[in-house]
Amino acid sequence: MSDTATRPAPPAPPKSTGVAVTTAIWWRRALPMAALYAVSLGIALTLAALLVMMTGASPWSAVEALYEGSLASPAAIGLSLDKAAPLLIVALGTCIAARAGLFNIGQEGQLLIGAAVFTTIALFMPGPGPLVLIVALIGGALGGAFWAGIAAVLYFWRGIPVVITTLLLVYISAQVVFYSVSQSWWLQEHLPTGGVMAPQSDLLPEDRWLPHFGEYPGLNFASTIVIALVLTVIVTVMLRRSTWGFRLRMLGMNRSAARRAGVSALVFGGTALLLSGAFAGFAGAAMVGGGNHRMQPGISENSGWDGLLVALVARENPVLAVPVAIFFGMLRAGGGFLASTGVPRYIVDVVTAILVLAVVFPPAFRLYQRQIATRRQAKALAAATSGAAA
Amino acid sequence: MQTQHAEAPSGRTAPAVELRGLTKRYGSIVACDDVHLTVPQGEIHGLLGQNGAGKSTLVKMLLGLVSRDAGQILLGGRSVEIPDPLAAAELGIGMVHQHFSLVNELTVWENVTLGEPGRPDPARTKALVRSIGERYGLTVDPDVRVEELSTGERQRVEIIKCLRRDPNLLILDEPTSVLTLAESRELFSVLRRVVQDEGRTVILISHKLDEILDATDHVTIMRSGRVVAQRATCDTDERELAREMVGRELSKWVAASALGDLDRLVDPSHSTDAAMLDRTESIDEDRFPVRLRITDAYLSEEGRPQLQGLSLELRAGEITGLAGIEGNGQRALGDVLSSLIPLDSGTVEVDGVALPTGRPGVMHRAGIGVIPEDRHQSGCVLDMSVAENLVMSTVNSVATRGMVSRSRIRANAERLIEQFEISTPSPDTPMRQLSGGNQQKVVLARELSLDPKILVAAYPTRGLDVGAIEYMTQQLHAAANRGIAVLLISTELEEILTLSHHIAVIHRGAIVGRMRRVDVDAERLGMMMGGQAA
Repeated sequence: MSDTATRPAPPAPPKSTGVAVTTAIWWRRALPMAALYAVSLGIALTLAALLVMMTGASPWSAVEALYEGSLASPAAIGLSLDKAAPLLIVALGTCIAARAGLFNIGQEGQLLIGAAVFTTIALFMPGPGPLVLIVALIGGALGGAFWAGIAAVLYFWRGIPVVITTLLLVYISAQVVFYSVSQSWWLQEHLPTGGVMAPQSDLLPEDRWLPHFGEYPGLNFASTIVIALVLTVIVTVMLRRSTWGFRLRMLGMNRSAARRAGVSALVFGGTALLLSGAFAGFAGAAMVGGGNHRMQPGISENSGWDGLLVALVARENPVLAVPVAIFFGMLRAGGGFLASTGVPRYIVDVVTAILVLAVVFPPAFRLYQRQIATRRQAKALAAATSGAAA
Repeated sequence: MQTQHAEAPSGRTAPAVELRGLTKRYGSIVACDDVHLTVPQGEIHGLLGQNGAGKSTLVKMLLGLVSRDAGQILLGGRSVEIPDPLAAAELGIGMVHQHFSLVNELTVWENVTLGEPGRPDPARTKALVRSIGERYGLTVDPDVRVEELSTGERQRVEIIKCLRRDPNLLILDEPTSVLTLAESRELFSVLRRVVQDEGRTVILISHKLDEILDATDHVTIMRSGRVVAQRATCDTDERELAREMVGRELSKWVAASALGDLDRLVDPSHSTDAAMLDRTESIDEDRFPVRLRITDAYLSEEGRPQLQGLSLELRAGEITGLAGIEGNGQRALGDVLSSLIPLDSGTVEVDGVALPTGRPGVMHRAGIGVIPEDRHQSGCVLDMSVAENLVMSTVNSVATRGMVSRSRIRANAERLIEQFEISTPSPDTPMRQLSGGNQQKVVLARELSLDPKILVAAYPTRGLDVGAIEYMTQQLHAAANRGIAVLLISTELEEILTLSHHIAVIHRGAIVGRMRRVDVDAERLGMMMGGQAA
């Protein structure tokens, strides 16, 4: 038996000697980062201000509008939450797929299909409102799962990359949805003869809407955010604690080892992909049931894309996704209000995008900076020492 | 001539490298403790020691990968600072690492020019590769992609990458762990040329005693971070080296294997070791039931046949050694028994029950434990913790109603860590941070903790030091004694001869010969491995 003393354990990182030291280190790391965020956001805001000024509005009033639209009143806060909820649900699904090592980027399409299926069931199914609502919500989730399932089948059957199929399916879904709302036998609205038929569905009967909390001037929001938060807890616990989450993680980190241990990529990876589709589809269903109450081709307002972005910014961590989704929701709510003050809608989108970049930029820049610094340091020292040795 | 060289150091010129009292601590662990080492210009210096003896840390300080806590480094008599690898390169220190750092998709010349500043110059780089190749006998085609090269050729590329920077000091870390015997010999003759003709200096890190004896002029032996002995290679022998390295006498059995002493292994009358006599007792064929039966297995991958009618039986309580030259279907066999790939035709039966091949987890559930050929690829998940790796295939056993219990994962880990003497800071340490030997122990511990009927061990001691080899050897032996049918896949005959009751020879995806351990005839074995009828 070999003597363990002759083979010391691999070096452990030096343990911190006390709280004070750790805090000091934390501050030394956190301060430049905070400064970087300040600079980054500062530049973004300046750019945004310039853009707004070009449209003839005052930047300060734009900021006021953003604040008023997202935080200033209880109603505005409610709107922010309403906007955040679908993003969070989409992001949760994305986290699940990412954990299994699959990169679903077709949430936008899955969301649209989910919304269409939800509307179809909610409009055509007879029966008591709440029952129809539940069936329609489940239908929406299944619709999204089906849409992601097409990508899953192509991947596991023919090895076609998920990134490509999910992305391309977004465009097909947009066509399908537009078709659905322009066919009178399907979703197109029924108006008294002579009315102009818009490509949209009838308004859902009120008993098939998602429950709404509060009344307008006060804090009011659809129950979607509550569902989203419950889902966050469930997803977090399942991913962290369940054997399913354990196996999913194994699969994502090492497919061969997982396969040997009996984790089938088809079963677990496929399920993860279907689930991420189901989450997106459910988000779409909730957007119709909780907000619009009718199907329109533009209903998603890019919620699928932004939900994906939320997951990325939150580094595929479901808990972190909550604040990120709320931040995005605030931008969306404030942006809507800003548009109503006369600033063109596309400027609002550009400003939102700039702000997102400003938030994503610092960590990336920090990494890059560190690489450059080490390289330069290395070169300088090398030059100095070789001079001394020569 | 070599000896002269070695015995007349530094009279005129200062030694190429001199280390004075180098010390490095990691927390409470002293990785290098006051190491003094002098290597004269123009010699091959062996650095011998087990994993964790401090060899790597010492070399990392020389390469600027690790900063030292105390001591002095002198190159050519001048004290130098080596803060980072670039500085080391500037100072003329080059290193060939144990694991290759090549981009498989790129050609040889592209790999050689990689990391150079400025625009790559294909013509010049190719000419350079050819000229270095000619000068040192490192022939390799600069236009071939690295993925098409054999392991030996890949290492040549690594050495060319190093030599093109014209280093004064060349460090090689376990260079032969991936090479065949012939390739190793070739490597040593290249090193000899580098040293003799050009006056460069080579430090050869190894834990293989025979190659230290073959290739070096002086040898420094490290144990527990200290230099325990320094010898002129001609004044020492295998026994002394082994004793100094391990700090005690090894069992003769393991020592013979570690020393590559084939004669002693083949002819048991040379030995009086009890373990060896036990192994050579004739075993009654029918005494043990057949656990695993593979019949007529065929398998092709990307059009290349891997298994071509392989049939094999493993019996309970027996170790079957699968001898053969690498690349004759061993990997495919291991993959099939890991449920990674399905057979094209043929059957795999465990205790008479045919198993569907290639279906995830089936082999494992049927009681086949595997220590895979490449533990990083399918043996463990590097980014999960040691504790998680230990329950990887039995996560249900530490879960209640689908929820994993952390305390039970931990308890299981603590039990196995103690039982298998795994050296890890804590059960929660990521697998990635463990040494190779300890990663291998984690895999072994997990597979054995499942109480398998069959254990497949593919190259279980590859890259391990003598102490860890001895441990692994004992564990496999003990497994067989408990009634497990063991399949030992290895290219090292010594290892197979040490452990096996039966030997099967694999060639081109089929078993071409079987013999009992007692009947082994090294010549016949070698012929069969080479595909000659015997």
